[in-house]
Amino acid sequence: MKSHFLFPHWFRYLGLALFLIHIPIVMFKKEMGFSMHEEPVSDDLFNSHHIFFMTTTLLMAIGLFFIAFAKERIEDEQIFKLRLDSLQWAIYVNYILLVVSLILSKDTEHILFLNLLVPLVFFIVRFRWKIFQNNRLINKEEGQA
Amino acid sequence: MKNNIRVERAIKNITQAELAELIGVSRQTINTIESNRYVPSTVLALKIARVFGKPVEDIFSLDEED
Repeated sequence: MKSHFLFPHWFRYLGLALFLIHIPIVMFKKEMGFSMHEEPVSDDLFNSHHIFFMTTTLLMAIGLFFIAFAKERIEDEQIFKLRLDSLQWAIYVNYILLVVSLILSKDTEHILFLNLLVPLVFFIVRFRWKIFQNNRLINKEEGQA
Repeated sequence: MKNNIRVERAIKNITQAELAELIGVSRQTINTIESNRYVPSTVLALKIARVFGKPVEDIFSLDEED
């Protein structure tokens, strides 16, 4: 079956690596106590704070993107359907959260960040969970046989 | 939609994995079809029927709910 606009399978590991790399960088910065309020933030678009935020966010988002849209080892129509179902769920959840947070909060920066994260993370978790369930059913049947 | 792939497999004496390999899908897909959790596309149904050398209607049939 033809797969539409998916990355090769190994992009999943590349994505995982990118995502894992961004965690210690962000933690290191937090540990060091660089806070955006301590240093005077210049109006220049490319100040150090903005560049740091941009790089780590991009690392995370691209990482998640690669994990989410890398081909499975056997990419067939059933996986395609799971993918589509999970994507639909992810969009639903994202928009519900978006609407709720728009009503309850004025913190647009964090709302934007949440909006960047939720669809991909929810999609990955739901998609992986369904695949895990399928594999578990097979193992159960083997146990009975 | 109901199907009797499990029976046909037993007659032909092939496993889910072997059938999956013959038609180029994953073993999970065959398993989900057999347990009625996934309805295959027409292309896949025709491929399965070809493996067993029977018309599609002999393997797949409509359910009351369909």
